[in-house]
Amino acid sequence: MSAAPPLLTIENLCFDFDGQSEKTVNALELSVKKGEIVCILGASGCGKTTVLNLIAGLLKPKSGSINLQTESGKRNSIGYIFQSDALFPWRTVEGNLKLAFDINGKLDRSKAKETMQLYLSMFHLNPHVLSKYPTQLSGGMRQRVSIIQSLMFDPELLLLDEPFSALDYYTKLSLEEEFCNLVKEKNKSAILVTHDIEEAVSMGTRAFIMSGGKLAKEFHIRKKSEADITRGSEEFAKHYREIWSELKTIISG
Amino acid sequence: METSSTTKLSFGQRLLYPLPLIVFVLVWHLATHDNKERQFIFSSPLLVAEAMERLAKSGELFTNCQVTIMEAVAGFALGTTVGAIIGLALWYSRVVAEISKPYITALATVPIFALAPIIISWFGIDIRSKIALAFLTTVSVAIVQSYQGAMSVEKRFLRLMQVAGATRWQTFKLVVVPSSIIWVLNAMKLNIGLALMGAFIGEFISSEEGLGHMIVKASGLYDQATVFAGVIALIIIALILTFVIEQIESMLMRWKTV
Repeated sequence: MSAAPPLLTIENLCFDFDGQSEKTVNALELSVKKGEIVCILGASGCGKTTVLNLIAGLLKPKSGSINLQTESGKRNSIGYIFQSDALFPWRTVEGNLKLAFDINGKLDRSKAKETMQLYLSMFHLNPHVLSKYPTQLSGGMRQRVSIIQSLMFDPELLLLDEPFSALDYYTKLSLEEEFCNLVKEKNKSAILVTHDIEEAVSMGTRAFIMSGGKLAKEFHIRKKSEADITRGSEEFAKHYREIWSELKTIISG
Repeated sequence: METSSTTKLSFGQRLLYPLPLIVFVLVWHLATHDNKERQFIFSSPLLVAEAMERLAKSGELFTNCQVTIMEAVAGFALGTTVGAIIGLALWYSRVVAEISKPYITALATVPIFALAPIIISWFGIDIRSKIALAFLTTVSVAIVQSYQGAMSVEKRFLRLMQVAGATRWQTFKLVVVPSSIIWVLNAMKLNIGLALMGAFIGEFISSEEGLGHMIVKASGLYDQATVFAGVIALIIIALILTFVIEQIESMLMRWKTV
């Protein structure tokens, strides 16, 4: 049986901001399979977010190709979760979650409530939250709602730009866990940009270190079918040490 | 942290609201009550109260108020609506917005007094010329404020819409308009006073009714008490209309105060 084609294939991707002599993204190659969580680590300003913006279509590549092989072939197969949420403050949580239906007329509006309830319970949010405004929610709740907002579009690939970095430690841990469960249950794929090696090891199937505009080093953390690696276990520490050692070398130049 | 632009006052502090007014009226009264010469120039609180009572009883005050309110509100509604539509629509094209800039600046800086005779000759001395003047004083503020609002939409919202595959119209309708509401409301607050000024200037230059007409006629007769009565009526109208706008604001911006 032949292996399923990757969901995302990036080939020879190049990008530079106008006026910059050095390329921010330089001949970058990456493929992401269905059900994978790929983490990208690297020093600040190395171009991690630029890669996500290129995949999301927010920036135009100078050369190279980004090929998203979705099952549905729909235009919004990508969900982007930013470091700070993009919830509309003038809409209630319910209104924010229904944004997908306002934008995509093809989505079945009658299923909105059911889908919302499903994701709310998946992310341990009380349904009462639907009538609240974003300003009435804590940082963790806002980020949960923000993830659900992206999921309402039913994307196949989720892009996460340090979405948990501004949260307190315990909220961060539970959100990481909830997100991994979601990826498994719904067979989604994700690319997570993070500075946090622990986060990469606990969430990722693979991790990359980005340097010089490329994904300079790849780490295989687990197969998507394998169980989670317990924090504090020897295996966890081994991956942590490997990544940190490589990262330290790259950062110190 | 207090994020609201207005400070919440306690009941005791709220009792201080009329204090400046009381002091002003008291000083005015003390300076004029036993001096006929000063009363001729400055009138006095008692004479103004008498004039207001007389004008109210004759119905003159209400008729003139009604006319001025009608002109100002019609000009305000027209100017703010048209201005807000133009200002928000300029978000669609930076080129058109850039080209429009000098014209909007010109419209905003031309003194309405200079335009008033032309407008009156075009529309006549009836209510239409006053509405047109109120419109002209308000439209440019609404354009500038709404455009500023449209251009100040947070980037993260626009990115979200772009990633979600929203069309430009959907982005305009679902993000640009609602996030610019606060700017449009600010324009409305500024425009209340400006609309009254536009209508008043029109009445001042040429009219047969309205508070402007009443004030001009009274000042020609050196009837300072009636002039003050007209000014007070204008202030009360402005306060009432501002209160109405504030109610609309608290209704539309409910999410800010929950």
